[in-house]
Amino acid sequence: MNISRINIGNGIYLNKVITDKFKSNFISINLIRPLDRSEVTKNSLLSYVLGRGTSSLPSKAVLERKLEELYGAHLSVNINKRGERQILRVSMEWADSRFTKDDTYEKSVLEVFRDIMFYPDLKDGLFGESIVEGEKKNLINRIEAKVNDKRTLALNRCIEEMCKGETFSIYQLGYVEDVKSITNTSLTDHYRGILQNSHMEIVYVGVENPSIREDLIPQEYLNRKDVLIVPREIIPKDNFTKNHIVEREDITQGKLVVGYRSNIPYEDGLYSALLLGNEILGGGPNSKLFKDVREKNSLAYYVGTNLIKHKSIILLDAGIDINNYQKTMGLINEMFEDMKNGNFSDDDIEIAKKAIKTSSQSIIDSPHLMGEFTLGKVISKDNRSLEEMIEDIEKVSKEDIIKAMNTVTLDTIYFMTSKEVEQGETN
Amino acid sequence: MKRISNATLNEEIYFENLENGIKLFYFPKKDFTKKYAIFTTNYGSIHNRFKVKEDGELITLPEGIAHFLEHKLFEDEEDDIFTKFAHNGAFVNAFTNFNQTSYLFYSTDNFYENLDLLVNFVQNPYLTDENVEKEKGIIAQEIEMYLDNPKWRVFFNCLKGLYHNHPVRTDIAGTVGSIKEITKEDLLRAYNTFYHPSNMVLFVVGDLDMNRVLETVRNAGKEYEPVDDTPVVVFDNEPTTVNERLIEDYMSTSKPLFYLGIKDNDLGQRGEEAIKKDITTNIILDMLFSDSSDFYHKLYDQGLIDKSFGAYYTGKENYGHSFIIGQTHDPKLLSALILDVFKDYNQFINEDNFSRIKKKEIGQFLMGFNSIEFIANNLTDLYFQDFLLIDYLDVLNSIEFGDVEDRLGSHFKEEFSTLSIIWPNNGNDLNREGDK
Repeated sequence: MNISRINIGNGIYLNKVITDKFKSNFISINLIRPLDRSEVTKNSLLSYVLGRGTSSLPSKAVLERKLEELYGAHLSVNINKRGERQILRVSMEWADSRFTKDDTYEKSVLEVFRDIMFYPDLKDGLFGESIVEGEKKNLINRIEAKVNDKRTLALNRCIEEMCKGETFSIYQLGYVEDVKSITNTSLTDHYRGILQNSHMEIVYVGVENPSIREDLIPQEYLNRKDVLIVPREIIPKDNFTKNHIVEREDITQGKLVVGYRSNIPYEDGLYSALLLGNEILGGGPNSKLFKDVREKNSLAYYVGTNLIKHKSIILLDAGIDINNYQKTMGLINEMFEDMKNGNFSDDDIEIAKKAIKTSSQSIIDSPHLMGEFTLGKVISKDNRSLEEMIEDIEKVSKEDIIKAMNTVTLDTIYFMTSKEVEQGETN
Repeated sequence: MKRISNATLNEEIYFENLENGIKLFYFPKKDFTKKYAIFTTNYGSIHNRFKVKEDGELITLPEGIAHFLEHKLFEDEEDDIFTKFAHNGAFVNAFTNFNQTSYLFYSTDNFYENLDLLVNFVQNPYLTDENVEKEKGIIAQEIEMYLDNPKWRVFFNCLKGLYHNHPVRTDIAGTVGSIKEITKEDLLRAYNTFYHPSNMVLFVVGDLDMNRVLETVRNAGKEYEPVDDTPVVVFDNEPTTVNERLIEDYMSTSKPLFYLGIKDNDLGQRGEEAIKKDITTNIILDMLFSDSSDFYHKLYDQGLIDKSFGAYYTGKENYGHSFIIGQTHDPKLLSALILDVFKDYNQFINEDNFSRIKKKEIGQFLMGFNSIEFIANNLTDLYFQDFLLIDYLDVLNSIEFGDVEDRLGSHFKEEFSTLSIIWPNNGNDLNREGDK
């Protein structure tokens, strides 16, 4: 596996991971935008509109038929949220010609990939009006569909309340009320604007291919003047607001989300200890929460925590009987205090270290994960290799974990409960 | 071990029927860091009425028993199973579906120790009245989680509409009521009937030493008496008609969700014949409804469907169905338009879209081989249908346009269809934009 990174234009980088162990190749181009209410909905809509065709494949049907001919090359145009960044991404994965025994199509795959981002289907220099209006409806439907998945809805609601006033609270797919005012003209202007000033990262994972080089980017973008660099997120140092929110929905099971903050940024040496503390507390079936809330007290099927890297936020989520809220919250608080007081064993630490090591080592077995990992390193300006990251985890002591967990403070409790009134506490 | 290879795919697989009864397959995946093993019994949610032998008494166990047993095998007298695997840096898990229960793990180090653990915990249940009771609260929460999931509900309502008697209409985890009845004795009865190695298969995938894999499984496996009788699962006669043509329900969703199911009445195939039918049916559904089809674009432009629209076929020896699914503001109109396609399908299919879809299937199958989980899980699923995954491309290549025409005429009939709809209920007063 040979990893390289080269600058191919102002604010444009090509990251290559050369390997022949996969049956396919993967490439993505990522436009890194600030997560900003004034453009979040436009970028989201662009991910729908760009997928509708290119100048040489000027309709969705023609485009999809072409992709089928390219052995089902998988094209995706989507939006990702990384901390307080919104990433507009075009990606393509295709079967390698060694296995299809057909060497005629890979050039076309790369052309389609390039055209989706840089040569869309325009009429008189604009995105078609009916296309934009149609995709506006689709985007509204997609945003409104977030109520269908109550577990994810509860997570998003907790972040919205917890980070109210912070950029991070912005929903990455945008807002229904902002969709309405977008026109094909304003969307085209925005599109041209972001091509002119976005930091772009191309990531390729696959066999050596001489066509993967600077001409993936049209000449006119190679010498851009002002490239927007998104600043690092702010990690509040103290004065946390305490929120306690209860909302009623038409549901059977209660969805509990608890948000905590640490003031250790990911650049800090102690961050590895925070990662381990999170793993011991709620990382998997061997965590304290799983063992206590689920296995010992039978209160939940799923219960666990997640550390949001760019904001140093820990989010806990659990699905529980609506009548068991007090009891569950009591146990969660106990587990947390245990972490702060060092009530966990060397064995817990060893197990957590091994879990993180196995997950990290597995990254190199997937073209997608390898691509994500490469981009993630660039965004967080982390020059360590996978091996170095694992070494840093292995060096962490129990004292480090206690110290890290003592920076963690409860911020927001969010509970989505049923519309029926609780019957009081049962066991 | 016996070597089976496939030239088209350039992959090989090794097989051994061990003295302890375990059927072991090893699939080498060179240069992969992750190693994966999956140990499966041919026992899922549809197998809860059975006779231990041909002339034995008919036993019916509570709904959700196979899934309950899956949870309980993770109990151990001393240390829990999760901890044992975690000590070796392995991730262990399990799942139950209609047809099988699988126990699996992946790891990068200590693979052989983990493999030994896997075989041992599956072959040595530790059940007590107390630990069975304790699990009921956890599984009740799992069931309630699914009750809040509109996509799961619209799917199961469709199965309930398609089938009169077949147990595929029953929720895999059972109901909060049915799992309350489950006892230690029920679980042991299910275990003793269906967890004999003759009813199981073990797949191992990764960059490994074949002889060590073989030795590990040989030494880990318990001694079992060979059985003369294999359990007989009893299915009631299932009529060719559907149970209900329309099932409507209400949940808190943003738009109506629908599943249009079409019951397959051409059943009984195994092996290559079954796989060929499966692939052919999925090619047809892609030709008619995928995002390259005329139908898709006409309705997409009208705003009747969106990216959630899709279609697939799934089936086994004694049941099968095609689903066309998605969200739409008018599910009844959309369903009528879909059924119209089946009445006059000739205008939607031709040699050209057939060969394109076939090419797509080839590429996507190849891409699946990047994932050791994809390989092992599909190997297992197809094994129980008497088919080896590595021959899949050959069957795919052998399908011709004529096969598509034959299958279209026989399977896709309006009278075998069920429409399941989840309508949004009103009165949802949650402020969702967070601008409060």
